[in-house]
Amino acid sequence: MKLFYDMPAEDRAAYDAAASPDEVLMYCVPFNVWEEKFVSGWTAVTDRAIYCILSGKLLSSIELERCTVFSTEVLYGNCAFYGVVDGTTTLICQFLSGRNLPRYSVLVQACEDLAKKRRESRAPGDPVVNNENERFCPKCGRPFIPGTNICPFCRNSKEVYKKLWGLTRGLRWMLFFPLFVSVISLAIQFILPAIQRVAVNDYLTNEKIYPLGSFAEDPHKRAFLLIFLAIISIDLVQRILGVIQSRLSAVAGNKFTLMMRTLLYEKISTLSISSISHKSTGDLMGRITGDVNAVQAFMTGQLPSLFTQAASFILALVFLLIINPLMSMFVFVPIPFVVWLVKNFWATMQNRNRKDWVLGYHVRLFLQDILNGIRVVKSFGNEEREIATFHRRTDRHAAQTESNALLFDTFFPLLGFVTRIGSYLILFYGNYLLFKGTMNYGDLHQFNSYANIIYGPLLWITGIPRQISAFLTSLGKVLEILEEQPEVADIGLPIDIDIEGDVRFENVTFGYDSYNPVLEGINLDVKKGEMIGVVGHSGSGKTTLINLLMRLYDVTEGAIMIDDVNIKDISQNALRSQIGVVLQETHLFSGSIRDNIKYAKPHASDEEVIEAAKMANAHDFIVNLPDGYNTMIGEKGYSLSGGERQRVAIARALIHNPKILILDEATAALDTETEKLIQDAINKLSKNRTTFAIAHRLSTLRNADRLIVLDKGHLAECGTHQELLDQKGFYWRLVMAQRQDSGMLDKADKVLAAKKAATA
Amino acid sequence: MNETKTAAVKEEPKKADAVEKKTEAPAKAEEKKVPEAKATADVTENKEEIDPDDLFKHRVSINLTPENAWFTPSEGGLISLKIINAEGEEEFFERVVIRRSFPVTSPDEFLSVREPDTRAKGRGAEIGMIRNIHIFDQKTVDLINAELDIRYFTPTISKITSAKEKFGYNYWEAETSAGKVSIVLNNPFSNIRVLEDGRIYIFDMDGNCFLIPDPAKLDRQSFRAIEIYI
Repeated sequence: MKLFYDMPAEDRAAYDAAASPDEVLMYCVPFNVWEEKFVSGWTAVTDRAIYCILSGKLLSSIELERCTVFSTEVLYGNCAFYGVVDGTTTLICQFLSGRNLPRYSVLVQACEDLAKKRRESRAPGDPVVNNENERFCPKCGRPFIPGTNICPFCRNSKEVYKKLWGLTRGLRWMLFFPLFVSVISLAIQFILPAIQRVAVNDYLTNEKIYPLGSFAEDPHKRAFLLIFLAIISIDLVQRILGVIQSRLSAVAGNKFTLMMRTLLYEKISTLSISSISHKSTGDLMGRITGDVNAVQAFMTGQLPSLFTQAASFILALVFLLIINPLMSMFVFVPIPFVVWLVKNFWATMQNRNRKDWVLGYHVRLFLQDILNGIRVVKSFGNEEREIATFHRRTDRHAAQTESNALLFDTFFPLLGFVTRIGSYLILFYGNYLLFKGTMNYGDLHQFNSYANIIYGPLLWITGIPRQISAFLTSLGKVLEILEEQPEVADIGLPIDIDIEGDVRFENVTFGYDSYNPVLEGINLDVKKGEMIGVVGHSGSGKTTLINLLMRLYDVTEGAIMIDDVNIKDISQNALRSQIGVVLQETHLFSGSIRDNIKYAKPHASDEEVIEAAKMANAHDFIVNLPDGYNTMIGEKGYSLSGGERQRVAIARALIHNPKILILDEATAALDTETEKLIQDAINKLSKNRTTFAIAHRLSTLRNADRLIVLDKGHLAECGTHQELLDQKGFYWRLVMAQRQDSGMLDKADKVLAAKKAATA
Repeated sequence: MNETKTAAVKEEPKKADAVEKKTEAPAKAEEKKVPEAKATADVTENKEEIDPDDLFKHRVSINLTPENAWFTPSEGGLISLKIINAEGEEEFFERVVIRRSFPVTSPDEFLSVREPDTRAKGRGAEIGMIRNIHIFDQKTVDLINAELDIRYFTPTISKITSAKEKFGYNYWEAETSAGKVSIVLNNPFSNIRVLEDGRIYIFDMDGNCFLIPDPAKLDRQSFRAIEIYI
């Protein structure tokens, strides 16, 4: 993300006039709104002051020394940047959220830091560098396609085509041979009218030819037979070529899709969580299926037809001009008019159909909404009102559909007539020439055939720019993933170690966005076999801590050491295969329970599966299922209850005997009895394993050796249950808050008991 | 991003209170260390008697009228407020934030006057509500309206000079009350909202909000650009 823009000369001059020569300009970011107008101004931050500059004028300057806290606030339609100057909050500037909010969020931190250093008269240090992606094209300022770095206006098409060429390696002849074939088949198509002309001119209308003797001796008849055979064989060859072309395209297209899809899937699997989590599952699925399909359809469908259509247009044009330049004018004259009319007609229809679709969509939306909430409608007695609403919507939709259909049915047939205007003109002029004797019948026939060909490509080509841009967008989205570098990468020679279980966090700082740290300065030393309970409000960084330990993300600062080895030096495979994880949202794959438990260790024996299930207190319920361990679960299979799923997940985490076990809210969604079962399981298995357990329900953590309390990304407290209670800090508060509920229950029980006693 | 941020902030006020209480409690204990016996008694008593309900107390929001609230411009160009609160005490706020409860249907009524949100304390509490802005004198009304104009920045579109649909986005060039703008819309069906009274709100990818007060008064070209979405 850019934090230092170059101001235009005029504004730069204003800055130079305001700032003293030894001031260091650290940041310069745009602001967009001033006195209820859109403007393009600059907020310049130096090591000692903030300047707001607009069209060559200095609007304000604030000395950093006088400032303490900075903040941004999302307003309605824009955002504001505030600073507390001499104790009073001051509006510094207003900016657009989509474009600049992340920038100003960094600036808030940076300015506070600069102000502090200034007051303590320390050196300002280097400006903060931010590697966040931009969401707007730096060249044209238009937004990127969401989730990508592609600007549809500024992308370099040449580059994209070059990359596509690289992707087609190995498939090239398969992809381009069909092109070649279709051009041949096209050329043959153009021979046909020429032969027909010979047949018509020399034989059918040639009055000098009279039947002479037997068939074999008559040269005319032999020639005629040849022509007849030629016409048939041309047709046949064309069809055969067509078959070859379609077959090749189908195979090539399929291979291309297969290759792209596999490449994409491989790439997505190897990308780090941090890259993937920026994109939604739907988006990724769309790229693997939809975008790949669009690219393939273009490569094997539209590209060859673009080729042939263009070729046939040019060929037809040349032939027309050769046969009769004057008469070809009759073909061209109506072309602009026809193309304009057809294009307009389709544009209007498209617009109207879209409107129709929208109205239909509203009806469907309404139905879905109301039918889902029919109980609510009925319980509030609002049927009448909803019926009226439905009527209004369907009526509008019906009216639109009707009007569209009427328009289409009226104009579409007329359109056919208009496109043939050229033919009528030719017919007229051609016949005139025929009567005059300057043209013969065969030539007219040939000319007419070519004239009919020329309209097809013309109408087709008007749709091409749209198709190309859609294709380029899809291709860009695919290429973007293929070219992404995994953020979390193994070092050159990663170590495969057998983990013992000592874990140490050394001054760990991390943020998903670099300007917004989620964890700050975490120091923690965990001995082998210890069970650590992690406590804190939601958003305090508990899960992040765990993610860092699994190295789904790399720490921004500091290091995580396992057995005194930095986890960055351990191969990701070795690390994760020795960590067992149970999450709150258990995802079990479609398949049998046995397969699911074996997921972490595919070659595990059945004994191991049973052992793991027993440890997880899952064995009993599994054996009681009709199909035992072979019970199919997942979308189409048997549905397990939450507790059962959780226990299967625990068994899955245990089967490879991990040295480090992570339980992220593993028991949060369960009832107390099931929790007890799982608790027992956890107690069994946390022996000799370093265990990290996150829980909201504090009772879950009563067996933990130590508890750590996270607050806003800081390690607030650390110690045993009793120690923390004695400290009367955060943990004590959490305990009190949870006890409060049970206190209410006690009170309620007492009241009830008293009532009972009174009535008795 | 913002939503998650504010959601995270939401939880914080309680915590923040607790921090203050926590730091206060041991400090008190230390001060009172001189008469030792009493101090320990105090501490244990403290432990027993803190009612957890106290930890979750909130400010009482009041009805703000010219009789109990005085808005003044702050030195930073924002609004300061002095009130007589629910307990009858005078209270001063260096800066208050004013939000509309019904920005669309009743912009002048039910204004919520709040403490600003801060990173340290999280979401600011409501100080009080103004039933209708016009019960205040004109000077105050102007002051509040100036602040509201900044907060609810909604330029009015007078003309759409060009509207193109490309790559699944709508690219518009428009003239607005805040100057000429380029508007990029994604998913216009959900980002163009038509109210029952015919007003149209348009939300673009930049986070801007635009208003078309009466589409029927637009010229033909502008109307065609929005026609299919309404």
